[in-house]
Amino acid sequence: MMPITMATIGEANFIKKITGKDNVRQHLAELGFVVGESVTIVSSLGGNLILNVKDSRIALDKDMAMRIMI
Amino acid sequence: MSIKIALAGNPNSGKTTMFNNLTGNRQYVGNWPGVTVEKKEGQLKGADDVIIQDLPGIYSLSPYTLEEVVTRNYLINEHPDVILNIVDGSNIERNLYLTTQLMELGLPVVIALNMIDVVRKNGDSINLKKLGQALGCEVIETSALRGEGSREAALRAAQLAKANQKQEHPHVFSGTVEHALAHIEEAISGKVEKDHHRWYTIKLFERDEKVKEQLKLDAATLNRIEQTIASCEEELDDDAESIITNERYTYISKLVQSCVTKSRKKGDLSTSDKIDRVVTNRILGLPIFAVVMFIVYYISVTTVGDIVTGFTNDTLFGEWIQGGLGGWLEGINTAPWLTGLIVDGIVGGVGAVLGFVPQMLILFFLLALLEDCGYMARIAFVMDRLFRRFGLSGKSFIPMLIGTGCGVPGIMASRTIENERDRRMTIITTTFIPCGAKMPIVALIAGAVFGGAWWVAPSAYFIGMAAIVISGLILKKTKRFAGDAAPFVMELPAYHWPSASNVLRSTWERGWSFIKRAGTIILLSSIVIWFLSNFGMTDGTFGMVEDMNTSILASIGNVIAPVFAPLGFGTWQSSVATFMGLVAKEGVVSAFGVLFGVAGEAMELVEDGAFGELTTIASHFTALGGFSFLIFNLLCAPCFAAIGAIRREMNNAGWTWFAIAYQCGFAYAISLIVYQLGMLFTAGQLGVGTVCALLVLAALLYLLFRKPPKGVSSNQSAVRATM
Repeated sequence: MMPITMATIGEANFIKKITGKDNVRQHLAELGFVVGESVTIVSSLGGNLILNVKDSRIALDKDMAMRIMI
Repeated sequence: MSIKIALAGNPNSGKTTMFNNLTGNRQYVGNWPGVTVEKKEGQLKGADDVIIQDLPGIYSLSPYTLEEVVTRNYLINEHPDVILNIVDGSNIERNLYLTTQLMELGLPVVIALNMIDVVRKNGDSINLKKLGQALGCEVIETSALRGEGSREAALRAAQLAKANQKQEHPHVFSGTVEHALAHIEEAISGKVEKDHHRWYTIKLFERDEKVKEQLKLDAATLNRIEQTIASCEEELDDDAESIITNERYTYISKLVQSCVTKSRKKGDLSTSDKIDRVVTNRILGLPIFAVVMFIVYYISVTTVGDIVTGFTNDTLFGEWIQGGLGGWLEGINTAPWLTGLIVDGIVGGVGAVLGFVPQMLILFFLLALLEDCGYMARIAFVMDRLFRRFGLSGKSFIPMLIGTGCGVPGIMASRTIENERDRRMTIITTTFIPCGAKMPIVALIAGAVFGGAWWVAPSAYFIGMAAIVISGLILKKTKRFAGDAAPFVMELPAYHWPSASNVLRSTWERGWSFIKRAGTIILLSSIVIWFLSNFGMTDGTFGMVEDMNTSILASIGNVIAPVFAPLGFGTWQSSVATFMGLVAKEGVVSAFGVLFGVAGEAMELVEDGAFGELTTIASHFTALGGFSFLIFNLLCAPCFAAIGAIRREMNNAGWTWFAIAYQCGFAYAISLIVYQLGMLFTAGQLGVGTVCALLVLAALLYLLFRKPPKGVSSNQSAVRATM
């Protein structure tokens, strides 16, 4: 398991775990980041990521992205 | 009896476009009580008895963000007759997550399956009948951007509200959860409104604090509920909130699999993603952004903007209105003082502001284009890394960008920042960026005092940006703003061609907030200033004065002037001009024109570059004093209109005063340092002022580099509130 920040751009990965406090996890879930979902990095800029999940693009800063484990 | 339709949906689902479609111009915009969340209401076109209530864009009905709380309180307490749920068809899984929650409220729901044109273009198809049957409500295809289907959806919703039929809620949860829910339902039976029974049950299962507070259940009932939840959690080996979230998604995935046929494989890049590959690229991101901004400002300031502004100022106001009106008033033998008041006072004052309108509209039009096509959200992403270093998030950049046109819509744009701390910091610092109305001051000082030196204008932007950076660093270390910058989480809309009506509407709304002040506050203050500068005491009698040095305004200016003496511009004219800047920043220039007795209209001379005529102004300033004057006027409290916007957005008198005091104090400190140390190095002048300046500089450096106060760790509840 590794944080999504270490994945290759454009490669689809499945979410294995989401770490962090309940409310942060809950918010990520509302945006579509749930265990078992496929997620792809669209773009990476200094650790900040644009991720494609459930057909939408979500921009996350590095700290938030580190919570998503693949 | 009128019918109320509540419009609910995810951000970026096309809700605003649909609302505009349905209501046209019959909209009432305000705030939800007690919070600065925008409330929009309107009448359905061609149906006076149908009222459309636009709700904030949200991802769920959890109790964490202001928008979510506002939405659910409205839906529960105000009982709209029907919910029109807008679902982005091209992102159906995530959007249905909210839908499943809306269905539990016990209100009739109609789904508008929006962006159906995008779905078709992607080669996908959605089985409406199947989807509607499973969810237990009607589904209507719409494309708000093209104006298709919106009206049918609203009319169908109105029909449904009239019929007042009960809808079945969909079977989302597993047997284990339903079992627990049944227990809770029984425990609260008779204690909540029957219609909302299902919703309260699920919220209690999720341990929703707000609902617990609201229902005021007795300890025994709460205990019973808690036991039910605990045993369900144990059985499913997860916490209650996650159980509900996961089961919702599981249900939706299955539903989507059976109703939606996709032509694209999962993980394949869409066109929008391909654009993002380039535009938000590690190497190309910033250069592309710089080029886009250069084009925007080149068009709105240098080429098209300049031509239009020249026409409005010189021809429209200068010749046609001012000239024509003056001639006409003289023709009908109006008293000279009245002619003076109308032509020079009112038309001159208000016209100077209105002259900026065309340029402003062009700038706002271009920014609206960037916003509507989806690029603006990417700018926030690209800038986030940079802004994070000094305690702001990328979302703070958009208000500042708009603030280069006018601070009022700039401050209003800070609403998109959910974190309160970040938003307040953005509101305080946004007006440091030189707005359109400050540019004439820059041009005047550059031309009259520095002989048109090229570096003055860029330095104004540099000073503004430096002020934001320094303020960000200083404020972040105070108790009021302590903690890490809020996490950056933002959905990026898919790129699409901008819609003409959206762009024009946004341009007009922002431009209008600028025009409105010309008609109200500036009109009034033009009259007051004209009176104060033309009347005074001469030879013991009160009346109109020939020499402005004896006017009331001069007396007031003389009292204030010593305050600015340490900054190098302690003349009464400079003090008065600075105060006139509070009315409207460009008022500084016209004030100088009047006060220093420049022949002709000072603003026009500045525009024409005829700085030779402005030597009377130059003679009152040393180079350093002029620059210090410029810095003070760029950074101090903005005009009254912008202060009004600050008050509205802060929604709190204490914070408003803090913002104004900080801006003025900061401006004074920087001007003092620049002038006094400048004098020390250029003229070797040493005095009390120099010592004060050094002390202020030391204090500033301390505030800038000290360690953040102890005991204030990053506030996690604030973190959640951000999103």
